Amino acid sequence: MFSMYWAAEAAKTPPPWLGFVSGGLAAQFVFVVFLFAATYGLIRRLQGGGRVAAIRKIAGLDAINEAVGRATEMGRPVHFTPGIGATSDPQSYAAFAVLGEVGKLTARYDTRIIVTTANAIMTAITDEIVRGAYLESGRPDAFNPDDIRYLSSAQFAYSAQVLGIFEREKVAANIMVGVFAAEALLLAEAGAQIGAIQIAASTNTFQLPFFVAACDYTLIGDEMYAASAYLSKDPALTGTVVAEDWAKMLILGVVVLGAILNTVGSKWLQNILNR
Amino acid sequence: MRKELPILVSFLFGAVVILAKYISLGPLPELIKVLDKWSIVSGAFAFLFGMINLSLLHGHNVARRKSDYLFSLYFIIVMWAFFFLGLYQTQKGYSYKWIFDNVYTPGTSTMYGMIAFYIATSAYRAFRARTMEATVLLVGAAIVMLGNAPVGAVIWKQFPVISDWLLKIPNTAGMRGILVGVYLGALTTAIRIILGLERGHLGGRG
Repeated sequence: MFSMYWAAEAAKTPPPWLGFVSGGLAAQFVFVVFLFAATYGLIRRLQGGGRVAAIRKIAGLDAINEAVGRATEMGRPVHFTPGIGATSDPQSYAAFAVLGEVGKLTARYDTRIIVTTANAIMTAITDEIVRGAYLESGRPDAFNPDDIRYLSSAQFAYSAQVLGIFEREKVAANIMVGVFAAEALLLAEAGAQIGAIQIAASTNTFQLPFFVAACDYTLIGDEMYAASAYLSKDPALTGTVVAEDWAKMLILGVVVLGAILNTVGSKWLQNILNR
Repeated sequence: MRKELPILVSFLFGAVVILAKYISLGPLPELIKVLDKWSIVSGAFAFLFGMINLSLLHGHNVARRKSDYLFSLYFIIVMWAFFFLGLYQTQKGYSYKWIFDNVYTPGTSTMYGMIAFYIATSAYRAFRARTMEATVLLVGAAIVMLGNAPVGAVIWKQFPVISDWLLKIPNTAGMRGILVGVYLGALTTAIRIILGLERGHLGGRG
């Protein structure tokens, strides 16, 4: 038993040339360095006039224009929520990118936007983003700070207030991009019942089916993280999405190789990944 | 400086946190403990910040006598009363605990309970067999439901077996595929923030 324990510990020793890395994390470290290097290399190439990789069509992001346009025609507001997350959640940064774009559209079309949050710091940031979008669109006077609302940090108290806003304000478009948990279906179904056009994005695999069932467009998983590159068309940001795809192909290769090696009884790759 | 300073801070702290995850040399492990404490303290301040934000917003409604301003007044009184009660009694105080258990908890449970009804209406909409995909979804869901309900095994003993296979093989494969993309996307987003490429959270003004 003890020999098995020591064998497992020895397997977690990084190779000598990575002796400064903690045991068991060498493969992860190499992967992160690869991702950083690929991102940096691609950004340099694209900024130096290299060919810009095209991101495939993402229907949910293309539909933002349609959703805001519909709200404008109906004379009703657009509701945006970054969910119940905080600034420590990477999904929130995808939400900020989409909100910036939605804010510019609502400013341009002179449509009211209501942003609800469940975190006080998120309120301050979303306020700044929408204010900035209105300023950039040349309509700072149209920005209404009362429409950027902190509702509650409690998940279901937040949901109850959003449901109230849906009923009272009769929003025509509901855009949900960020962190969602059990309240996902409450928000999506309430939006569907008032006939709002709905765009949702989540990385939570347990809530995605609810969004798919109740919303018109759903961004699934990492599509959400491509939002800032897709909407801004910035070559540097596009480079990061391409680097992510390279990393995905690398992982796919490792998975296939690992499956073959495990099938023939070899633990070679598993041991390397455990070091 | 309005944008450069946050980008510099993001770069410094982001790089330190990533390095400390993999390298336990010198002051890095201790530094991470300190940063964790900073994070907890700033998170606690966020609650106070939220309360001030709400008080200003609803105070404005009361001062301007906007429609339904009485609700705003009621909200301000309840929020600050409960805050000071918590400070005075702590979370274990009888009155504080009574209000929490008999007002907050039933309200939360009610909202959570509503999900069951919303699942029914949402499932009805999703499972209408109008397209090939919806039909596959309907058949799959029916098998999984019958596999998990005792009556399913009575009708046909293979229902639980097929249901189990659907959940363990195709469902898990799909979920893991999505999760690989999600984790890579999160890592790439972190790299974009550290390198100062992701600036959406800094607002539109230069």
